[in-house]
Amino acid sequence: MAIEEDPEGSELRALDRVVSFASRRVLEIGSGDGRLTLRYASKAASVIAIDPDEEAVAGLAAERLPNVEVRAVGAEGLELAAHSVDVVLFAWSL
Amino acid sequence: MVDALRRVRGMVTVDGTVVDVHPTASASAIEVETEVTGYIDACDAPLRHAAADAAVAAAVRDGLYAIEQAVEFTFYTYGGTIDELREYIRDSWRDARIDEATVGRTRDALRRFPGSRPRSRERVVVTSLRPRRGAGNGV
Repeated sequence: MAIEEDPEGSELRALDRVVSFASRRVLEIGSGDGRLTLRYASKAASVIAIDPDEEAVAGLAAERLPNVEVRAVGAEGLELAAHSVDVVLFAWSL
Repeated sequence: MVDALRRVRGMVTVDGTVVDVHPTASASAIEVETEVTGYIDACDAPLRHAAADAAVAAAVRDGLYAIEQAVEFTFYTYGGTIDELREYIRDSWRDARIDEATVGRTRDALRRFPGSRPRSRERVVVTSLRPRRGAGNGV
């Protein structure tokens, strides 16, 4: 039997209380393998998911979500245009 | 950590939102149903989580952001067995472990609650931050 994280969906419910992902451009810092990304990405206009763990982000990239761009980089190395995202999400990464 | 908050402030739109999700500094438990069988030895994780709290507080104090909302929730991770959960935590968490006594108590509890799965319980806080105008764009 596999490990199952937050099957209750508590994390996404809590996020939904404080921010809307609907049609927003999202930068997720610390996406890892996309455990959280996969739960909200369909609502967002676009997602840039970054994590320095190359192996983990490869797993997310393999999902080939059309609106998700995956980068193997940490926040300190990220190059992004000024004021180009609507939501920045530190996913257990601060 | 404050540097990261300062940096992304220049990336988000002026009416955008920065959201931080991280565990609280409280101890993470191992449970079977609602019975606590022990706590995860998470090494310095509480200190790291407290540092994340401090980074948010510093960014607010420095005038970079205003806190909009903060919401706490419980995050459960289930294993098929206690051995599977222990292995997952050992491999996925930084320097964390479940000790033998907790493993033994969990096995006892699983015998009392047939069909149940062991789980870890973490308290997590979600904080939404609004960039404050005129505090520099951080780029």
